[in-house]
Amino acid sequence: MNTPTAAAGGLQARPRPGRPVAAVGVRPGVWLAAALVLGFLLLFMVLPVGRVFYTAFVEADGTPTVGHFVAFFSQGLMKESFLNSLYVASVSSIFAALIAVPLAYFTVRFDFRGAILIQTLGVLPLIMPPFVGAVAMQLIFGRSGSLNLLLGEWFGVTLPIMEGLNGVIFVESIHYFPFILMNLTVALRNIDGAMEEAAMNLGCRGWRLFWRVIFPLALPGFVAGASLVFVKVFDDLGTPLVLGQTNLLAPQAYLRITQVGLEDPMGYVISVIMIVFSIAAMALSARVLKGRDYATTQKGGGSIRRRRLSPLGALAAYAWIGAVLLIVLSPHLGVLLLSLAQVWSFSPLPDAYTLAHYATVFQDSSGMIKNTLLYCSLAAGLDVILGVTIAYLIFRTTLPARQWLDWIATASLAVPGIVLAIGFLRLYKGITLPGTDTLLTSTWVMIMLAYAVRRLPYALRSCVAALQQVHVSLEEAAESLGATKLRTIRRVLVPLMAGGILAGFVTSFITAAVELSATILLTSAESQAPMSYGIYLYMQSVAGRGPGAALGVLAIVVVAIGTYLSHGVVERTQSRFAPSAKEAQA
Amino acid sequence: MKKVSVQCRHVRLSYGSTEVLKDVDLDIEPGEFFALLGPSGSGKSTLLRLIAGFSRQQSGEVLIDGVDISAQPPWSRNIGMVFQSYALWPHLSVWDNVAFGLVERRVDRATVRHKVGAALELVGLSAFGDRRPNQLSGGQQQRVALARTIVIEPQVLLLDEPLSNLDKTLRVQMRQELLSMQRRLGLTTIFVTHDQEEAMTTADRMAVLDQGVVQQVGAPATLYDDPVNTFVANFVGTMNLLPGRVHAAGTPAATLQVDGVGDLPLPAQMSAPADERQMLGFRPQSLQMTDAGAARDPQWLWMSGRVEASEFLGEFTRYRVRVGPHSVAVDQTHHAGQHKFAVDGDVSLGLAPSQLRWLSD
Amino acid sequence: MFKRMLVASTLAAAVFAAQAGTVTVVTSFPKELTRIYKTAFEKANPGIKVEILNKNTIQGIAYVRELPVGQRPDIFWASAPDAFEVLAGQKLLDNVAALANKAAPAKVGNYPINNPQGLYLGQALAGYGLMWNTRYMAANKLPAPHQWADLMKPVYFGHVAISSPSRSGTTHLTVETMLQGEGWDKGWHQVLQIAGNCAAVTERSFGVPDGVNNGQFGIGLVVDFFGLAGKYSGFPVEFIYPDVTAVVPANIGLVAGGKNADEAKKFIAFAVSQEGQQLLYDPKISRLPILPPEAMDGKTPKGYPNPFEIAKRAKVHFNSDLSESRYNVVSALFDQTITFRLKELQAATKAIHAAEAALAKTPNPKAAALLKEARDAAFTPVVDAGKVADREFLAVFAASKKDAAVNKRVTALEDHWNTSARQNYERAKALAEQALAR
Repeated sequence: MNTPTAAAGGLQARPRPGRPVAAVGVRPGVWLAAALVLGFLLLFMVLPVGRVFYTAFVEADGTPTVGHFVAFFSQGLMKESFLNSLYVASVSSIFAALIAVPLAYFTVRFDFRGAILIQTLGVLPLIMPPFVGAVAMQLIFGRSGSLNLLLGEWFGVTLPIMEGLNGVIFVESIHYFPFILMNLTVALRNIDGAMEEAAMNLGCRGWRLFWRVIFPLALPGFVAGASLVFVKVFDDLGTPLVLGQTNLLAPQAYLRITQVGLEDPMGYVISVIMIVFSIAAMALSARVLKGRDYATTQKGGGSIRRRRLSPLGALAAYAWIGAVLLIVLSPHLGVLLLSLAQVWSFSPLPDAYTLAHYATVFQDSSGMIKNTLLYCSLAAGLDVILGVTIAYLIFRTTLPARQWLDWIATASLAVPGIVLAIGFLRLYKGITLPGTDTLLTSTWVMIMLAYAVRRLPYALRSCVAALQQVHVSLEEAAESLGATKLRTIRRVLVPLMAGGILAGFVTSFITAAVELSATILLTSAESQAPMSYGIYLYMQSVAGRGPGAALGVLAIVVVAIGTYLSHGVVERTQSRFAPSAKEAQA
Repeated sequence: MKKVSVQCRHVRLSYGSTEVLKDVDLDIEPGEFFALLGPSGSGKSTLLRLIAGFSRQQSGEVLIDGVDISAQPPWSRNIGMVFQSYALWPHLSVWDNVAFGLVERRVDRATVRHKVGAALELVGLSAFGDRRPNQLSGGQQQRVALARTIVIEPQVLLLDEPLSNLDKTLRVQMRQELLSMQRRLGLTTIFVTHDQEEAMTTADRMAVLDQGVVQQVGAPATLYDDPVNTFVANFVGTMNLLPGRVHAAGTPAATLQVDGVGDLPLPAQMSAPADERQMLGFRPQSLQMTDAGAARDPQWLWMSGRVEASEFLGEFTRYRVRVGPHSVAVDQTHHAGQHKFAVDGDVSLGLAPSQLRWLSD
Repeated sequence: MFKRMLVASTLAAAVFAAQAGTVTVVTSFPKELTRIYKTAFEKANPGIKVEILNKNTIQGIAYVRELPVGQRPDIFWASAPDAFEVLAGQKLLDNVAALANKAAPAKVGNYPINNPQGLYLGQALAGYGLMWNTRYMAANKLPAPHQWADLMKPVYFGHVAISSPSRSGTTHLTVETMLQGEGWDKGWHQVLQIAGNCAAVTERSFGVPDGVNNGQFGIGLVVDFFGLAGKYSGFPVEFIYPDVTAVVPANIGLVAGGKNADEAKKFIAFAVSQEGQQLLYDPKISRLPILPPEAMDGKTPKGYPNPFEIAKRAKVHFNSDLSESRYNVVSALFDQTITFRLKELQAATKAIHAAEAALAKTPNPKAAALLKEARDAAFTPVVDAGKVADREFLAVFAASKKDAAVNKRVTALEDHWNTSARQNYERAKALAEQALAR
């Protein structure tokens, strides 16, 4: 399955290099490609992050010290922020799991027409621009939001859903649960039906069947998704910032850097701690997944049998899905209402509606839309080029230490956007573009590169999955007929990988389009601003809420259309090529 | 363990508009090792899964020990099934795999330990309790799968192509082990395979299925020697088939008019249905091949032909002899130094009356 | 990879082309204001492009400071005067006295509109006040407030919002105004009580009016144009100036070492001209011009506040030197004892209110004594007036944080305040509960 969401999902499935490709030494072209890739990764990920680490560990004059770390741990506020971040990330993962697991199970187990609904659920939350989504949630679930106003009126109670850290947990769970949903669904689908039948044959059924056999077999998918949710919530800046919860690590880092300037060491200390923890979480999950490669669909086997739902069961299932869908779509609904609202204050619904905000946006924001399209396409393009190159280097060459390319590229998942931005600003401070005296850090190239670096893991996973579906014998056949390596790649490999490449491109694109953490720090001028930054700007003023929401709706629409189209193209290219790929694999 | 019988009465199963099992009737004796043999798509696996409870027939009954179990879900039928892929759970150790069914039945720890130990010993894997399935070879995995089902003491054992994933030598060894274990336990066993050699060497009786219909049921030798139709004849062993018509049956002038060959005089002892189109069937090894000019036994049916090809198979040599428009397979047991018939040589093929079969299409 | 080279070269070309005739403005003002000025200026001056860099005040200062000469933005345009003092102190501003609008008065109240040294000009006037959501107040049956001090009343518990001085130049000004108006100790006493009634301390100054606008909070301490803009945009909100308020100018200055000083001067001149000042009347902006209503050609909307009248009424004469000297201390103190300890402060305040209410019904001298103790514990600042006048103490906070030793000291102090505050609040809560129990 090479759809963009599955690509986003299949992030931690770690394939082994597979059958060793016989080669007499390593060709010069391979070295060149590896050098270019490594150069990119070094310049735009390793070194900036390294700079951050460096600054955290030195005095103003350059002597090494752990003083800053001591200062960090001796500050009650910092300790509190750290614990809060851990707490929020863990609880969000749990809630996300609670939402995702039943949904995944429904899709795979039962025969019902809600499947398309669930697929939508898998994508929609991910394409919500962070800032405006949280604002909308406030309007609906906040202390004077629609829900509480109605509850207060009817029942005299209010639910503090958005109070304090609860608000952050709520918004983050809803935003990120698709990672678990997609990963778990794929893992469940890969379970050989015989596993389940064997258990049933021995007397096992219902909940026990799920708990003893099915879930353990799908555990790798679950862990992959859950660890991803954990890391992303741990590192998230936008949502806590909007909800005013600053007692968390990412907001604290942001506040320190923007308040005191790039020289404040505390911001770097926080950054280092964030990275270390993210990597630890990912390493832990990799260790849990090790040796548990349960992809077991065997020749002649199908996946878990589908069942019909009893009418009562169907009702319950639809009700649950409906409820989840409603909650998950509430930010989108909220944003839509806000974009059309004239005045929405202390009432369940806006007072009056208007299209004026859209007019404002279309007037003002064609530049921003253009910017988003430009930066995100370039970044995504760069990502798939790098992704294909790295995948090829790993699986088709005998380059020494080539796994490092994969690890370094994937490590950028653990680098919070804000840390990367800080790293860029610090490392490239004062460097000008050759020939002009424009600062590199004040150009949009930095923004685009930050996107490319942070989105690379998604594209890479897609390209790796796509490459693995093309049996090496297909390339060998081409070479035996006289095609050089490069021509083989161009004429055989890339067309067969097209589906996966496109999936990677789209995933990179849509996640870059709603990125805010790095954007906020790297965008200096309004004319450079992409849509996500534009929304942030709009949200800074009274008259800007409507247009900000309108821009948010535009962003969602653009991204949704992109995803939908790509799904279609991916399906079509896969069905065109899949039979040959599958046969080659049999 | 008590030996129980398994019966299917007028079982019909359709998926949508496709009929997969058509009026299946089977009677399996208690303690029997019964094979379901057929090509893919014949419905044999479907029938097995039906008995296991993974699908439900539209009409008909399935009886175990005289009781109709059609309405019972798979988990309450107490039938053990070994899957083609073995379906060992990779996240559980061998021990836990085998203990699974007992745990499900809430058996106490001590009993579990005892029974699992015994089952593992029975299949010769006592030392492997701690291993994971992916650390075992194919043969070992199969034994674990067996142990897993045996340990719950099922009434019936179902085996779905259990040997197809093994290589040849292992297969031969395993089928013997399966058989001896079954004899020891006395379990009624139903065994699905597409390999007639497997079925013939192990089954007490077998049923041949084609497209959802039971073609013939009987002991292997019966099916081999007396197939009821050309399908069974071709499926169980190799059968030469010549279409023809008998004229003047029972008289000294009886002839078999074989299409494209001409009239072959029928020896008097050969009984034959009169005046109907028939397929003359005979096994390759039942033909006597001589050089063209050699003497012909008048008790036998003789044909003339020309050797087209010969394949040396070690135990025997198979010749392809062209008789008219037909290609006839002739097997000759091989021993060192034996006379070989040359390709393009003319030969006579002789058939003893007792080896002849008349088959309808 | 050649794709990147292509991109880089087109980029270089584009950026280079943009340089000629561009004025870069660093500002904390929102989009609607900057857009209106940009459009109007570009219309009057074809050939000059205005590039807006949106940064909040503190971010803006850091940004300007870190750029080398010749790379800096041209103009700094923000609300808080102390920000300009900081920039001036670091020699980052050029003299712009020549660009001042002669029609503008020298002072508003006691406060000079243009910097006496000529380093920056007043561009608009702003006061500080209270903004509330009428629907919220009606639903919760709250009376409209008139003075800051009103917000200390128990009835407003959980309904107020404020931003933090460290995040918002205007909030810093508000707090500093209260401190200067009532004196350090009493001022903090008030600030803490008001904060105790707060539901939230928002991350940015806009968070307060935003929250009041959409009904999340009942009352907020805001700059006047936030309140007025909200009202004129149709939100169910009201705004008033309390007596303790200062009217201070929002300023515009020319950054030393900017890229395009000549054309930037034109923009500054435009911004303070009558034409530029009239733009402030736009309902979306709702700010007060530096020119008195008489000089505005009758374009002043009816009922529009007159800053000069308000300033005359105001009781406080804002001393920006004093503010600058203790800038960081005030910010840090507020954050450590209020922003990051809000939960505990709220809990203590709630207990105190409850005890007070009970006491009002059934007076009890012992309980009253306990209650007084509780109040003292909760609402006394951890740094007293004497300490904050100490030069050495202030110097610590002004020093660079990169120095690990300084960083450590500052961190230690901050941590000390944080912990003391927490202890105080918890003690206060306990005492109040005791008082209640009697």
